[in-house]
Amino acid sequence: MEDNRRNFPSISPAAVVVAAVFLLVSALGTYWFTTFVPLVLPAQASAESKSVDELFTILVIIGGVVFFLIQGMLLISVLFFRARGEERNDGPTYHGNPLLEIVWTIIPAMVVVFLAVISFNVWTQNSEPKAAVNHVNGEEIAIEVSGARYAWTHTYATGRLSPDGVPIVINSGDTLHTYIGQNVELILQTQDVIHSYWVPAMRVKQDLLPGNPATGGRPTEIRFTPVRVEGELYPATYPIVCAELCGDGHGRMRGTVVVHENESQFLEAFYEPAIYAILNPPADPVLRGEIEIQRYICNSCHTLDSLEWSSRTGPSLNGIADRAGERVAGQSAEEYIALSIWNSGAFRVPGYNEQMAAFGPDVMESANIMSPEQLYAIVAYLCTQGEQSDCDQENASSAIPEAIETVFGMQVDINFGQGDAAADSADEAGGESE
Amino acid sequence: MAPAENHEAAAVARPALSDYLRWSVDHKIIGVQYGVAAFLFFIVGGAMAMLIRLELWTPALDLMVSGSAYNSLFTMHGTIMIFLFIIPMWAAFGNFVVPLQLGAKDMAFPWLNAFAFWLIPPAAVVVLLGYFVNPAEAGWTAYPPLSTLFSGDGQTLWALGAHLLGISSIMGSINFIVTILNMRPPQMTLWRMPLLCWAVLATSIIAVMATPFLAGALTLLLLDRVAGTTFFDAAGGGDVLLWQNIFWFYSHPAVYIMVLPGMGVLSEVLSVHSRKPVFGYRMVGLSSMGIAFVGFTVWAHHMFTSLQPELRIPFMITTMIIAVPTGIKMFSWLGTIWGGKIRFTSAMLFALGFMSMFVIGGITGVMLAALPFDIHVHDTYFVVSHFHFVLFGGSVFAIYAALYHWFPKITGRMMNERLGKIHFLFTYFGFLFTFFPMHIVGMLGMPRRVAVYVPEFQLWNQVISFSAFVLGFSTFIVIYNVIRSYYRGPIAGANPWRALTLEWATTSPPPPTNFDDDPIPYEDPYGYGTEAAAVYLAVVERAFDGDSSGR
Repeated sequence: MEDNRRNFPSISPAAVVVAAVFLLVSALGTYWFTTFVPLVLPAQASAESKSVDELFTILVIIGGVVFFLIQGMLLISVLFFRARGEERNDGPTYHGNPLLEIVWTIIPAMVVVFLAVISFNVWTQNSEPKAAVNHVNGEEIAIEVSGARYAWTHTYATGRLSPDGVPIVINSGDTLHTYIGQNVELILQTQDVIHSYWVPAMRVKQDLLPGNPATGGRPTEIRFTPVRVEGELYPATYPIVCAELCGDGHGRMRGTVVVHENESQFLEAFYEPAIYAILNPPADPVLRGEIEIQRYICNSCHTLDSLEWSSRTGPSLNGIADRAGERVAGQSAEEYIALSIWNSGAFRVPGYNEQMAAFGPDVMESANIMSPEQLYAIVAYLCTQGEQSDCDQENASSAIPEAIETVFGMQVDINFGQGDAAADSADEAGGESE
Repeated sequence: MAPAENHEAAAVARPALSDYLRWSVDHKIIGVQYGVAAFLFFIVGGAMAMLIRLELWTPALDLMVSGSAYNSLFTMHGTIMIFLFIIPMWAAFGNFVVPLQLGAKDMAFPWLNAFAFWLIPPAAVVVLLGYFVNPAEAGWTAYPPLSTLFSGDGQTLWALGAHLLGISSIMGSINFIVTILNMRPPQMTLWRMPLLCWAVLATSIIAVMATPFLAGALTLLLLDRVAGTTFFDAAGGGDVLLWQNIFWFYSHPAVYIMVLPGMGVLSEVLSVHSRKPVFGYRMVGLSSMGIAFVGFTVWAHHMFTSLQPELRIPFMITTMIIAVPTGIKMFSWLGTIWGGKIRFTSAMLFALGFMSMFVIGGITGVMLAALPFDIHVHDTYFVVSHFHFVLFGGSVFAIYAALYHWFPKITGRMMNERLGKIHFLFTYFGFLFTFFPMHIVGMLGMPRRVAVYVPEFQLWNQVISFSAFVLGFSTFIVIYNVIRSYYRGPIAGANPWRALTLEWATTSPPPPTNFDDDPIPYEDPYGYGTEAAAVYLAVVERAFDGDSSGR
């Protein structure tokens, strides 16, 4: 057998042609790969998304070169180096080439160093705290996100006070409102297990970590700045997704980011009306209750046809008023419903094992804080859910406050603290936004 | 060399099937026991994957009774595939082949070897029992507090079962390390050792060093669950990230436990079936050790969305570095087949399939290391796709390559090559069209571990599910081929592939003591193409099969 060590690899004209074709295909193929980049990513709705996508394009180019290099050499080997027929020869006894081995160690090492450097730059740029975050009406406000199985709750600490001196906190449920150019910085806190707050269109994601509520929890932060997307109609909406397995309803733990076109749109369409609604709740407790109950995460576990809720983690609220009076002997329907909300451990519906989250005036989670007035309204609303309600609906305005006083010893202001001052303040707020 | 006993190409006596059901300290019996048990678990885990894909045919929850049922299904799928299929399957090939390649009569500790295997059935019972009593539903990663405060007794059984499997893995690995370092023939220096042995050595070092961390994490988890401690409970001063750190300190190296032996198999199969020495043998061997070492420094890239932001950068850098030794292997394999005389056997097809698919997993691995991009695709189907390219496109393809390559040695009979090629085509394309589109749905916004998804991803998911069913079907082909070939396959003879490593210098299957004398290894395990090698192969052929017509 001849010694092939010296003349391997041999360079023939055919080999040059194959190499040329190979390089051409690699170059065109890599370019072709990059044309898919915008198709396989969501809209670029944040400043961060642009730099992340640029990085991804570089990764696709380098990955494409590696892909075509290796698949191409595999294909060439398969086509040209196959044993023909009954051939029994061995290949050349070629044990290696130190120079080649050094080359294919050093070049990949240099490539990964390059990638590490550009990734580091994109990361520092994207994760740096920004000046003037959550800018609203010239002020920085705090926006908190609470994750609980299986819903998101967004709260805006407006920095304003109601006429009674209570801070006004907007609770926009599973929807985050923002506007183009706002430097959004969200403080994330979970109420139970780990969740992950992901907005694909913004290319940002951050886990929510359980902490000790007694020592302020374990807040994490997420930052992004919405930008204009060509061809998008504003206000534009983008999904919020839970990306960390959190249990039964993980797949339906979703929310929405609403990006308004500019700050005045944001104020007009969301912010000021929300404050107005807090300062001027409907006088009818049932109507107010219908609004209040939707501020909380009740929909994440309960079914209620009137509001199109369909979760099955907790018992259904359909016809709750028909059953509430019969659950616990000696307890009125109003007392039972009020207790079930503020002291959720008091009674467990048979067949349901999960402990409901805690709600009340002094719970740790800001998203779950509920005043006696809000409880009154929610009980009044739930009392209407049934055909022959066990509640005393004709005297709701006295029966429910009495029930709340009986079980919790708290007074309810059935006028919701409304006064002339509140109305004036709301008019002022409305005026500002115009 | 052993005297020729079978001058006719006749069947060599092989163990009765009932021998495989009994306690045995013979590494070859134990190897088959590992292999058959692992393959049975592969079928169970695969059936679960089919149910997962059936559920995802539509965006709504329709097959499963609840999200929890779906969660426990993929929890078991992951647990079974990792702990009961891939890791024991490499113990199977390691057990059967490594002592033979070393010219040894058995493993260093035969009784320990058997004990390590027999821990698996009770461990499997514990894990599977958990599935039927309030099953674990926190994923195979079992992140607290979902796995502590929010799950039932199945989670406790899961942790106990994983504990037992860890013990088995540690004992098996100690055995491999001692065997490989101490039981080589005097002529076989480390630098003349077959590359499968290098890979198994590197794997075993990882397993011995990393598995105790899994044991530690599982112990803390069990204490939190049953003894009221609060290692992972923030309300009691614990930290949920503690689990993630310890768990991934084992579970990232575990990826290399699952793929390094496959890389060893590749070096064997590619060299033998292209009739050419392994290109850059020393670098291939050293790169196994390099991967093993660097593999211990990258664990926190699994925590890019939970780790403190300033700690993420160092792990990005270490993760990218691991591409370098992996690249060395890939290029060396290309150098191995380049210019060779490639035989398109089924074993070779799966080895080439490994290279073609694993490179995609490698490219997406570097993409995932790039922190800003990872933030977007972390915990999405992009990641599901990536690790299946590594663990199916990598490990499972290598397992099939190993099966077709060593089946003749294990059973004394050849597998059917036509069925093998059909199996390869179904597996290759079924795999590619199952897992490649997952990159796209992941990037577009589909998180992993969900039973419900938005309707715009339905078409993609149907493509994925359909391909997954094709992939699932391909398994029946290889099962049929194995059973049929076991009874009716052509007699293999000692060395059907005309390979130079020592496992082929004895009868197929080898006698209980493997070799009649102390075998002398050929000077270069991959020295194809020389006159001396041809002479050596002719001697082996005459010694065992008595005629010189090759296959």
